Amino acid sequence: MNAPDDVIHQPVRLRVMAALTACDPGDEGLDFTRLKGLTGATDGNLGAHLDHLARAGYVEVTKAFVARRPRTTVKASPQGRVAFARHVAFLKAIIEGA
Amino acid sequence: MTIRSDEAAAMLADVEDVVAKVKQSRIYRNAALIIMLWGVVDLVRDILIAIWPAWFGPRWFFIDAVGVAGTIALLRAGASPAGRFPFRILAAFALFYAFGWIWANLLGDFAPRQQMAFWPTLFLFGYALAGLWFGAAFSAIGLGLTALIVAGYVWAGDAFNLWLALVTGLGFILCGLWMRRA
Repeated sequence: MNAPDDVIHQPVRLRVMAALTACDPGDEGLDFTRLKGLTGATDGNLGAHLDHLARAGYVEVTKAFVARRPRTTVKASPQGRVAFARHVAFLKAIIEGA
Repeated sequence: MTIRSDEAAAMLADVEDVVAKVKQSRIYRNAALIIMLWGVVDLVRDILIAIWPAWFGPRWFFIDAVGVAGTIALLRAGASPAGRFPFRILAAFALFYAFGWIWANLLGDFAPRQQMAFWPTLFLFGYALAGLWFGAAFSAIGLGLTALIVAGYVWAGDAFNLWLALVTGLGFILCGLWMRRA
C-alpha cells in the first residue's frame, strides 16, 4: 500500500472512522451527538463529512425516532473497516520508513 | 499526496486518542448500569433496614444476591460478542466480598452502625482503585460517596441508615447517570 485513502485522510473523517471502527461490528455504532463530541466538529460540518463517508460506502447512517426525538446512528461498514485499517497501515509504513 | 512522517505520527496519535475515548466510554456505559443496579439494591436494602431493623444481618445476603445476579447478567450483556465474559471483574468483586466478610464476621468487632458504614466504603474503595486504570470517574464516585458516608457516620446520628439509603441508593443511581454521560 503506497497511497493514502483520500476519503479517510481528512482529519474529521479520520477521527470519525477511528471512533466507529473502535466499536465492535456487532454494536449499533455511535450516535451523532457522541461523534460530534469526539471529532469537535459542528453539526453541519459533521453531517457533510458523514455524507462523504456514506457515499464512499464506508459508513451506514440510520435515522430513527427514539422517544419522539430524532436520533442518527452511524456505524462503520465492513468496507469502511478495511479501508481504515489500510489507511492506518499506510500511516505506520510512513513512520517506519522514515 | 505526500505525507511527512511527523504528520503521519500526529494522525496516528489522533486515532489512538479517539479510540481510547471510545473504549473508555464503553467501560463507563457498562459500569454505569451496574452502579445504578446497586443503587436500587442498596436503596431497597437500607430502607428495609431503616423500617424493619430485623432485616439487618444475614438477610442482607438475599438482597445482595439479587444484586450479584444482576451484575453477572449485565457483565454478560456488556461483553463484546467477540470478547470473553469478564471473569476478572467478577473475581475482584468476590475478593472484596471475601475480604469484607473475614473482617466483618471473623476478625473485626463491628457494631451494626460500623457494619453499615464498612460494606459500602469497602466497595467504594474498590471503585477508587479502579479509577487508576479505567477512568477518573470511578475514583470520583468512590472518593465522593465515601466522604458522604463518613460524614453521615459522624454527624447523622440516628438518621444514619436513611442517610446511607440516600447516599448509596440515590447517590449510586445519580452517579451512574452521570457516568453514562461522562
